Parts: sequence; structure tokens; C-alpha cells
Amino acid sequence: MPIRPARRRLLALALWPFAARAAEGGLPTNVGHGDSSTQWEHLRGQLFGTRPIASGADSVVQLVVPLRAAYGASVPVKIITRVPQTPERYLKRLTLLVDKNPSPIAATLDLTPALGQADFETRLRVDEYSHLRAIGELDNGTLHMDSRYVKVSGGCSAPPNRSALDQIGKTRFRLPEGLHPGAVTPVEVSVVHPNDTGFELNQVSLLYIPPHFVRRVQVAYAGQKLFDAETDFSVSENPSWRFNFVPRERGLLTAEVEDTKDGRFTGSLDPWAVS
Amino acid sequence: MKTLHIAVVALAAALSFAAQAAFPTAYSPIEVQPQVSASGQHEFDLRPAQQRARRGGKALYVYLGASDCAYCRKYEQFLEANLRELVPRFAPKYLVVDLRSQLSVTANQLILRTEALRLPYADFQRAIGDQRARLLVYPNVWLLDAASGKPLMQMPAGTGTFQTVPEQIEILDLVE
Repeated sequence: MPIRPARRRLLALALWPFAARAAEGGLPTNVGHGDSSTQWEHLRGQLFGTRPIASGADSVVQLVVPLRAAYGASVPVKIITRVPQTPERYLKRLTLLVDKNPSPIAATLDLTPALGQADFETRLRVDEYSHLRAIGELDNGTLHMDSRYVKVSGGCSAPPNRSALDQIGKTRFRLPEGLHPGAVTPVEVSVVHPNDTGFELNQVSLLYIPPHFVRRVQVAYAGQKLFDAETDFSVSENPSWRFNFVPRERGLLTAEVEDTKDGRFTGSLDPWAVS
Repeated sequence: MKTLHIAVVALAAALSFAAQAAFPTAYSPIEVQPQVSASGQHEFDLRPAQQRARRGGKALYVYLGASDCAYCRKYEQFLEANLRELVPRFAPKYLVVDLRSQLSVTANQLILRTEALRLPYADFQRAIGDQRARLLVYPNVWLLDAASGKPLMQMPAGTGTFQTVPEQIEILDLVE
């Protein structure tokens, strides 16, 4: 008799932390990074209809993800755009998908030319062997995709890390490479937040922890929008986004964050003051 | 009398379970038992294995298993069941090091010693750039360069994602 998913999660978690929470051997291994999936076919129709989507060398979007990550709850994901972000041509929307996650649309980002270069890094939860996809839409309406097949599991039911409950919502910026006036400058924004999926088990009460996750992040520089992200619990706990901006004039980096319990948080940084 | 009989059977079963806890001998593993301190720290010394691997021009396949870990037995059984395909893949490249632990040995109690480092699990992981610092999961595998003691690639927590022959070969071939 097949084990119901909820029961399977319960069984797996009951063994935590003793058990390796990795996928059972025998899952499909001969899957190509560029292959389709039934979930993708469905999502594609829902999100993009019959519009053509460039891939491979024709795509301006590149996705960098390890085949196996250290933990399924925190898979590092990097999106590289092969064209600079200018008013004449820019990536205006980016969608991140995890085909087989319970909620496969991890994030949808609305982008502006002010980014300078539409490269992003974040961490996603991956619940089982699955394709990850990044689909970008240029301002001329063309769609571009890259995908990677990832072998991890349990990312949506991994026990949460509750080390900073008193700091939920704390939003910080960081300039990992310092400030580059007038040039593309990497910056990272992170939010202390459990990003609970609803599939995590409270180890004491043995009840599922209700979902509670960041659903929107709006980032601006000097009052000008850089990007807005609609996010889901497929983004790992303590969501973080590394991106770029071009500091031409003095101003503040600001982030407005909203979660599914209507929590609203803000963070800001004067990049000139820390350079 | 019946209670005693059950206890003896249970003890025998537990001892049998523990006795089977090992990387299969066909892979010629070096067994490393921990030095246990009075404070309960379990120190595994990888230095002799590093030296031997260097002499043989090999890397280290370090396996941390626990005697009372069902997932460890599952991986070991997988290795045992696929000797013919896998031993020839391990042998030319890797010296297998079998660290014998128990589930009760937590991250703070587990000390790993290489020629360069002697640190508790999480600090050791951070020092070598391994992203699995947050949580110690049994079983655990590291692929380490014998000279530097640094990882050849980032490994996943657990062994569940390489318990098929093709996937184990992916790991041995450092497919990322």
C-alpha cells in the first residue's frame, strides 16, 4: 500500500536527526538539464501560453545550480543575464520555478534598467529531484529560459532553524564587494524569517507548523525601483537576494518586506557611508 | 525467565546490528575508531589515512557512519550489493576511510583531525569550506584531497542521493 505523502513526511521526520534526509536511491537519474516535465508543461501553458521560449545558446538567461546541494532546504541558485540592463533593452521579468515543489512558482521578479546587470543569487527549497527553471522576459516581450536538474529532497519539510525568532523581519543590506560609483555594484538584501512552508513538523508537538513566509520584497535605490519580488515558501528561510545596482548619485538602498501574516518590515543602507 | 530471554535476544540483535556496521571490506577501507576523551569528545584522526592516500596517489573517500543508524546500513548494503560495479570505480581513485561513530555523538562531540586542522564538526566544516556545517547528518561522506584535506567538491547531507550505481559513479567522478 503506498504511503500517503503526509505520512511519509511524518515517518521521515520522526527519524530526524538520525536519518539522512536525502532522497531514496532509484529516482530518475538519466534526466537532462534541458528536459521537460509534466509539471513544466502544465506551468508553461498557465504562465506563458503558447509563446515561444528561447533556450540553450539562444537564451539570454543562464541558471547556475549544483547537481547536489548540501541541503535540500537551501539550494544555492544563481541567475546570470547575458545582456546588460539598459533602458534600450532590459530584462523586465524573471520567474523562478521548481517543477516538483508543492508550490512550484518560487518567485516572480519585476525588474528595471536601474539594476545595471540583471544577475541574481538566492537560495531555494527543493522538495524532490526536480528541474529548476529561470524564465526571463525581455522588454520586447521575448521569453528566455534555462533549466537545471537538481538531485536533492526534503527541502520543504526540513526542520526549521529557529535561532533568531526575536529578530523576525530584520532586513539587512550588505555590499560584498564595496561601492563602485557609477558602475555595476553587487549588493545583498536578506530578511530574518523562518519562511515556514506548512510542511515542517514541530518536533515537540508533532503538529505541522502553519505556513508563514515572505511574499513580497520591494527594493529601491535613491527612491527609484530596482526590483519587486513576489515570493513563495520555495525560497529558503532567511530569504536573501544578491543583485546589482548602479550608484550614480547619493541615496539610500531600501527594502520593504511583507509576509503572509501581514508583517511589514523595512531595511535600508546608505552605501556611500559604508564604502 | 521470559523477560531475560527477550532481553538476551534484543541484546544479541543489537550487537549483530552494530557488528554489521561498516563499509564493506571489498572496498579495502581503513577503519578509524575515535579516541574518546573524558569529556565525551570523539576524535577521529585522519592523518594516517592522508599519508597513505598521498603515497598511493589517491584522494580520500571519508565515510562517517553510526553503528545504530538505519540509513547507514542501507548505504552499506547498497555498496555491498554492487561490489562488482563499484569496487573498480573506487579503487583507482580513492582510499576509503571508515569513521565508526554512533548517533549519540553530536556535532559538538565529534572532532575531526587532519594534518592541517583539529576542530569540532561545525568548525571543521566551515574551515574546509563545506556548506554542511549547520547540521550533522549520519551517514556523512567527504571527498577530500589527501594533501590539503580540502573537499574535492561539495557533497550533500546524507547518502540518499547517490544510492544507485550511476549516481554513486557520478559522485566518484565529481560530477557537479
